[in-house]
Amino acid sequence: MLLYVARRLATGLVLALLVTLITFLLLAPSFDAIVGNRLGAGATAESIRAMKTQMGLDRPVLAQYSDWLARVARGDLGDSFFTGERVGHTVGQHLGVTMSIVLVTLALSVAFSVALGVTAAWRGGIADRVVQAVSLTGHLVPNLLVAIALVYLLSIRLGLLPATGFTPLTDDPATWARSIVIPVTALLIASMAGLTAQIRGAMTDELRKDYVRTLRTRGIPARSIILRHALRNASGPALTVLSFEFIAMLGGALIIEKVFAIPGFGSYAFDASLQGDVPVIMGITLFAVLLVVVVNLAVDLVNGWLNPKARIL
Amino acid sequence: MSISTRLPGPRRLFASATAAVLLMTAGCSGGGPDSPDPSQKATRLSLSIQGAPASFEPTRIDAGQSSYVWRALYDTLLHIDNDGRLQPHAAQRYEYSADRRTLTLTLRKGMTFSSGAPVNAAAVKATLERIRDTPGPNQANIADAVASVEAPDDLTVVVGLKRPSGSLLWNLAGVNGVIADPATMARASTATDPVGSGPYTLDKGATVNGSDYTLKKRKGHWNADAYPFETVRVRVMGDRAAVVNALRAGELNAGSVDPTQVGPLRSAGLRISPVKAFTVGNLVLADRAGTSLEPLGDVRVRRAINMSFDRTKLVAAFLKGVGVPSTQLFNPKGQAYDAQLDKAYPFDIAAARKLMAEAGYAQGFPVKMPSFVTTKPFEPVIAQSLAAIGIKVTWEAVPIQRQATTLAAAKYPMYFVIYGLDTDAVLTTLYTMPGTPTNPFKSSDPDLTALIGQANRAGDPAGAGAAYRGINKFFVDNAWFAPLMDIGVTWVTGKGVKHLGDGSSTAIDIRNFGTAG
Repeated sequence: MLLYVARRLATGLVLALLVTLITFLLLAPSFDAIVGNRLGAGATAESIRAMKTQMGLDRPVLAQYSDWLARVARGDLGDSFFTGERVGHTVGQHLGVTMSIVLVTLALSVAFSVALGVTAAWRGGIADRVVQAVSLTGHLVPNLLVAIALVYLLSIRLGLLPATGFTPLTDDPATWARSIVIPVTALLIASMAGLTAQIRGAMTDELRKDYVRTLRTRGIPARSIILRHALRNASGPALTVLSFEFIAMLGGALIIEKVFAIPGFGSYAFDASLQGDVPVIMGITLFAVLLVVVVNLAVDLVNGWLNPKARIL
Repeated sequence: MSISTRLPGPRRLFASATAAVLLMTAGCSGGGPDSPDPSQKATRLSLSIQGAPASFEPTRIDAGQSSYVWRALYDTLLHIDNDGRLQPHAAQRYEYSADRRTLTLTLRKGMTFSSGAPVNAAAVKATLERIRDTPGPNQANIADAVASVEAPDDLTVVVGLKRPSGSLLWNLAGVNGVIADPATMARASTATDPVGSGPYTLDKGATVNGSDYTLKKRKGHWNADAYPFETVRVRVMGDRAAVVNALRAGELNAGSVDPTQVGPLRSAGLRISPVKAFTVGNLVLADRAGTSLEPLGDVRVRRAINMSFDRTKLVAAFLKGVGVPSTQLFNPKGQAYDAQLDKAYPFDIAAARKLMAEAGYAQGFPVKMPSFVTTKPFEPVIAQSLAAIGIKVTWEAVPIQRQATTLAAAKYPMYFVIYGLDTDAVLTTLYTMPGTPTNPFKSSDPDLTALIGQANRAGDPAGAGAAYRGINKFFVDNAWFAPLMDIGVTWVTGKGVKHLGDGSSTAIDIRNFGTAG
């Protein structure tokens, strides 16, 4: 298993190398514009050239990328072109904000989706139809609309929750919790819609299988059949969906972050892209690729643990 | 044996999840985490800005909304009050020599930086020289004007000029006039946590760089009375809906909104203060010599372009009345502005077509214009208006990051931009400095040069009014530009706070806000 993990991580590093190289090559033609932004309205062709030399942006592109790679290997992601802050520190800060919302969303999504999906599959009938309707509604209703409605009701009218802003968990857990209720709810609806449908479908298929009938005839309790057998076998596709949702939420949280003025990863990446803050963009790209690699690996490992048949080690 | 269909497992999970949600909302008290205590509202300003400050390092601060933060952290040598008048500030006296080539500034006694170090002429000299010598957005104005900076004693700064400059004093009230601590200004940390002598310091514990800045008032600041708020919180909110929600929830007590969002805010009892002119939407007819677009070299064509726009309808349709139709670049409340000049180009398609025909372009001509994210709402009406006189516009998308370099490269003979309504002197410099995004084709004219020289030699801003009116008339008569409208801003303030500006000054400063009874 260790060999398998090492192999996957090595593949991930190669992927990170490729993606960051492509990103840097795509950014290179914009160096003039980025330097022009730094110089402002008084920028002239001469001053842009001088600034590029000062910043080392006039060197061959591959040489610049190699230098960046060498620094990354030493744990140095560089400094922001505009604020001078350490990229590693600020990317980590912003990622932490988004993760605290995304992980809570996913945890609740799993809890609710498993409950609804299993109920629909086991009971069938009206329960199944209700769950399907709820899932479909979740797909159709824009989560931004839900967010705006919740803000109007819970923040403006009732004054129960904050309309905007974010308090870190480490500063004040209670205030953190209040500050994420509405953003989490908005993200949860779309997440649950997909996951519930996935779990319902997989469980329905699983519960029709012969081994389930056998277990029932043996008098095994329903809870045991569902949790120890059927759900474990049905979890593979759901875990895959969950990993996609996690990755999608990291970037998709941008809109929620803007609407709630949350200093998260999505809005940080967006602002850095607008400014052309090359070190930050490269740092964000690297973090994002490695996160995807780690999440996919984790999903495969969990899948293998839950369902031995799925092990590919 | 019957098979139980109870589902304790999933039900328990559902219950647990629901309980978790309920726990998160348990203990909710009214209002958001920043809801100002009603008894403290008058002492706290909680304000939104649309974009994060890029840097607080003196060579890189900008005159945009980040000014709310850096103007609180730094003193400037001079100050523009809410009536648009230049006032002494950290420099309690300023005086030009007779030939306008030497400016002597006398500093106030007893000023200190937040580090405790004294503010003296050496600090001013060091800051001015750093801005002048470091490539950056604030270099050009100082480098163009300033030859030398001397500090003969602790309170006297003598600035030697290359030539008389009408904009220098105004620039010393802005980005070029900050006073930084020489011991710290070159540090990397200055970009996010500068040492200044201003009335506030950054509360680092409560500040999240890039999104939320909390400023605490310094005890014993020389100008404490001018700043009624003990705490200022500046929050970055790029989304207008977030600003509206925060205002309605009491999490902000000052913010600018779109005119269409005013209704619910007024109903909520918030104070609405529209300022009619804050920026100008301007069609820059940059290629006045006809270098790349020959027709534009003919003043009749440029005048025809001016006459093809129904500016009154534009303001009504796009700005919902928070704006002013205008054919002039300058602030309606400034000295350069002349109401008569707004009659120079009435909306008249027939007359415009006649001018085009006289110039030899009865059939019109095609033109490519850059399309930025800021110009998109206006593009259809610009294209339609120009099409009425035969000018066919093709828009080419340009990313906003490339706006400055693309325009400065003289790739486009005409383009639409929205720029701030700065002081008359600063705007004149902005639109005439050769090779920049606002004058990429390096246009010049002997009459204009003479007028600018006259304004520069006036020294005292009040005495330069006639010269700037002359410059304004030159721009209008020669149709160097086709300004379309002054775009306003709608300020909304909560209980205990009011917006003090009326558009006379477009300097962005927390002194634009005061306490209300």
